[in-house]
Amino acid sequence: MSTHNHHTKQHSENHGTVMNYVVGLLLSLTFTIIPYLLVVNKSLRGDVLLMTILGFAVLQMFIQIFYFLHLGRGPKPLYNIVFFFGTAGLIVVVVGASLFIMNNLYRNMAPDEVIRKVSQKEGISQVGGKPTGACTGNKDNYLITIIGGVARPIYVNARRCDTITFLNKDKTKREITFGTKYDQTSYGGEDKVILDDDRPETITLNQEGYFSFYDVLDPSLSGQFYVE
Amino acid sequence: MTDHSLVIDKEHEEAADDRTMFGFWVYLMTDLLMFAVLFAVYAVLRNNTAGGPSGRDLFSPELALAGTLILLVSSFTVGVAMIAARNGLKNQALTWFGITFLLGLAFLGVEAYEFYEFIHEGHTWRTSAFLSAFFVLVGTHGVHIITGLIWLGTTLVYIVKRGLNKPIVRKLALLSLFWHFLDIVWIFIFTVVYLMAFV
Repeated sequence: MSTHNHHTKQHSENHGTVMNYVVGLLLSLTFTIIPYLLVVNKSLRGDVLLMTILGFAVLQMFIQIFYFLHLGRGPKPLYNIVFFFGTAGLIVVVVGASLFIMNNLYRNMAPDEVIRKVSQKEGISQVGGKPTGACTGNKDNYLITIIGGVARPIYVNARRCDTITFLNKDKTKREITFGTKYDQTSYGGEDKVILDDDRPETITLNQEGYFSFYDVLDPSLSGQFYVE
Repeated sequence: MTDHSLVIDKEHEEAADDRTMFGFWVYLMTDLLMFAVLFAVYAVLRNNTAGGPSGRDLFSPELALAGTLILLVSSFTVGVAMIAARNGLKNQALTWFGITFLLGLAFLGVEAYEFYEFIHEGHTWRTSAFLSAFFVLVGTHGVHIITGLIWLGTTLVYIVKRGLNKPIVRKLALLSLFWHFLDIVWIFIFTVVYLMAFV
């Protein structure tokens, strides 16, 4: 009788109790809602936000593996854990290496526009002896403020390597793109400048000529700039 | 003597259970590798929108959260159902597995609604590499959910007709493992596909 009792006790420990599942569920819900709120409320930005939400996903995976799958509980399923970590290693290689290789490919074999964009971001003035057209030092800055659906000033006359900053004072989201409604292009490798809150966005004028811009969501908002 | 052979029988049975579990676990890990490849493809292609809409334009975070919460709760109910099944409580097990089934259907409904909206607006898998990768990754998960629901549905009919016996409890254990696994994969789809579109 006592061995039987011992047996069932061990059995339920291996497979978890209702309490295990309740704790697992509550932790999982918490770790789902926190990253959701961080993203929706824009409490964090950029890479910090990215790393935080990925961190929460990994944390939640371990919580579910422990509370729902009961991996590592009881003496037996050691080989399951070994197999799991082996697979996890393969996944890191598959996903990590794919991103690494494709990113390199993108940088090294991309069209001129992409090279211009990437080298502008990282301040690389030449690749393989060829100038990239990237500006390493910026000069003057021009501010274009959007108020009431109108861009001010509506025309900017600038020189190469100056910068233009767009600032959206309206509550509506703006997607500034270049060219005209009928002939959409990109500028300096930049397809779109998204303005969905008070945050200003700056572009570097690394391409010479006469350009126009407009809002994809409200094409009546437009303007021009000339780069000497 | 009889007592002794009973213990040996039980040990044999548990060893067989363990082997079955391990075999299924190996299957899950290979399935996970397939998902890893699809995740890699999605991660590489997520910005290649070819002038079409990006994830930021298309996705609704509320809808994705709703689907995630439904699937999370279903992962909980399948666990509770499994405890009832192991203790031989047929009606309790049927109730909790039934709830799991309905939650699975609800999740599938959310996903189908999202797909329908995208396609209805003209954003299909042919629009861009981003959308191809999206439909394949999320669609593959959806096919797994459909498989799980068919498996669960037929098993429930079996339990109603023949009751809870040892082999069926073993099958249910595999099914619940499968369901938890799909929930974990979804957590990463929720994060990498839906949340990361808004970063």
